[in-house]
Amino acid sequence: MIELNHLTKRYAGKRALEDVSLTLPQGQIIGLFGENGAGKTTLMKCLLGLIPYQGTITLDGAPIDRRNIERLSFATCEHSFFPNLSAQSHREFYAAHFPRFSDKRFTGLMDFFELPLHKPLRAFSTGQKNQFEVILALCQGADYILMDEPFAGNDVFNREDFYKVLLGVLEPNETVLLSTHLIEEVAGCISRAILLRKGEIVGDLSTETLEESGQSLMDCIKEIYHYRADRVGKALGELTGEE
Amino acid sequence: MTHKLSRWAPPGFPLRTELQFFGSGMFLAALYSALFLHRYFIARNDLYETFGTSRVLRPDAVMPDFIVLLGGFLLGFAVLALCMAGFALYHYLYHWQGGSKSIYLMRRLPDRWELHRRCLTLPLAGAVLCGLAALLLLCLYFILYMTATPAVCLTPGQWQKVWSVIL
Repeated sequence: MIELNHLTKRYAGKRALEDVSLTLPQGQIIGLFGENGAGKTTLMKCLLGLIPYQGTITLDGAPIDRRNIERLSFATCEHSFFPNLSAQSHREFYAAHFPRFSDKRFTGLMDFFELPLHKPLRAFSTGQKNQFEVILALCQGADYILMDEPFAGNDVFNREDFYKVLLGVLEPNETVLLSTHLIEEVAGCISRAILLRKGEIVGDLSTETLEESGQSLMDCIKEIYHYRADRVGKALGELTGEE
Repeated sequence: MTHKLSRWAPPGFPLRTELQFFGSGMFLAALYSALFLHRYFIARNDLYETFGTSRVLRPDAVMPDFIVLLGGFLLGFAVLALCMAGFALYHYLYHWQGGSKSIYLMRRLPDRWELHRRCLTLPLAGAVLCGLAALLLLCLYFILYMTATPAVCLTPGQWQKVWSVIL
C-alpha cells in the first residue's frame, strides 16, 4: 500500500499540492481527476521521487527509494522512452534493469497494438508513441502503475482498445493510478476517483458508492467542482443579446 | 566500436558524431603540440655557426630550457579535456531531447549509478585520454630534446624544471 501523509509541494512559493493525505491499496484502478494545474502531475512526480516535497510517502511502510522504486512504473504524455531506440532495444533495456519485466506481456501488447519492433521510436506516430509508453509501464513488472494523461493525442478507438486491454491484462495485485480529463470514458474502468483542485483533495469517491447512490461519476464531479451548467447559456445570451 | 561504447552513453545517443569530434580534437591538439618541434629545431640551429659549408657549435651556445621551448603547445589537450565537461552536460541534457523526457526513466531505475555512468564515463575517459596523450607527447618531446641536443649546451635539471612548472 502506498501512503501519502501531509504531502505539500510548492513551486517558487506557489502552492502545487497542499497537505495531501491518501492511501493507495493494491489491486485498484484509480482515476485522478482535476483541472489543468490541479496538481495531478506533481502528485505523480512526488510519488516517483522525481521532485522534492514536504510530507511523507511510503510504500508498504518504507520510504520509496532505489530499493523499491521498481515497484512503481510511469507512463506520461511527455513520454519517457528513448526516441532513438527501437522497441526491441527498449525491451532489452527494461529486461536488464527491471528484474520483473514481463516479456510475455510486452510481446502480447506489441502484437495487439501492431507496433513495429525494429523501428526507432522517433518514427512512431503520436498515438503509437503513447501506446508504447503505456506498454512499457504495464510490462515493467510494477505493482503500482502511474499514468499521467497517457492518451493525449490518441483517437477514441485507440483509447477504447486501451481500456479493454487494461482491464484484461491487469493482475489482481496491480494498481493503476490514472490521471486524465476523459472522465466519462474511464468511468467504467475505475473503482475509485480522487479529485484534486488547486493542490487539495476535494473528493475521494468509490464507484461502488456512487452506483449505490444512483449518481454518475460525472454528475458527482460537477457537483463537487460547483459546475454551473447555465454558465454557457448566460454567456452566449450576453454575447448575442438574445434571451 | 560505437556499439560496445554505447552502453556507456545515454541510450540512443549519436556516439559516432561525438567520437569523430573527439578524434578531430585529439588530432588538432597533437598537431598544435608538434609546433614544439619547429621551435626546437630553430633553437637547435641557433647553437651552430656556419662557415661556408660546415656548421660549428658556438662555444658559448646554451640551449633554452625544454619547458621554455614547450611553452603552451600541449594546451590543446587541456582545452579538449575541458570540453569533456561540456560532453558530460550534453549527455545529461540529451535525456530531454527528441520530444521525450527519458530522464524520468533514468531517474527511477533501481540502479542509482546508471544515469551517472552513462553521463560521465565517456567524458571522464576522454579527459584521461587527453592527459595520457599530453603526457606521452611530453615524454617523447623530452627524450628528443635530451638526445638530439648537444650535451654541452644543456643546462642541468631539465626534468625538475618541467615538474616545477606542472606542479
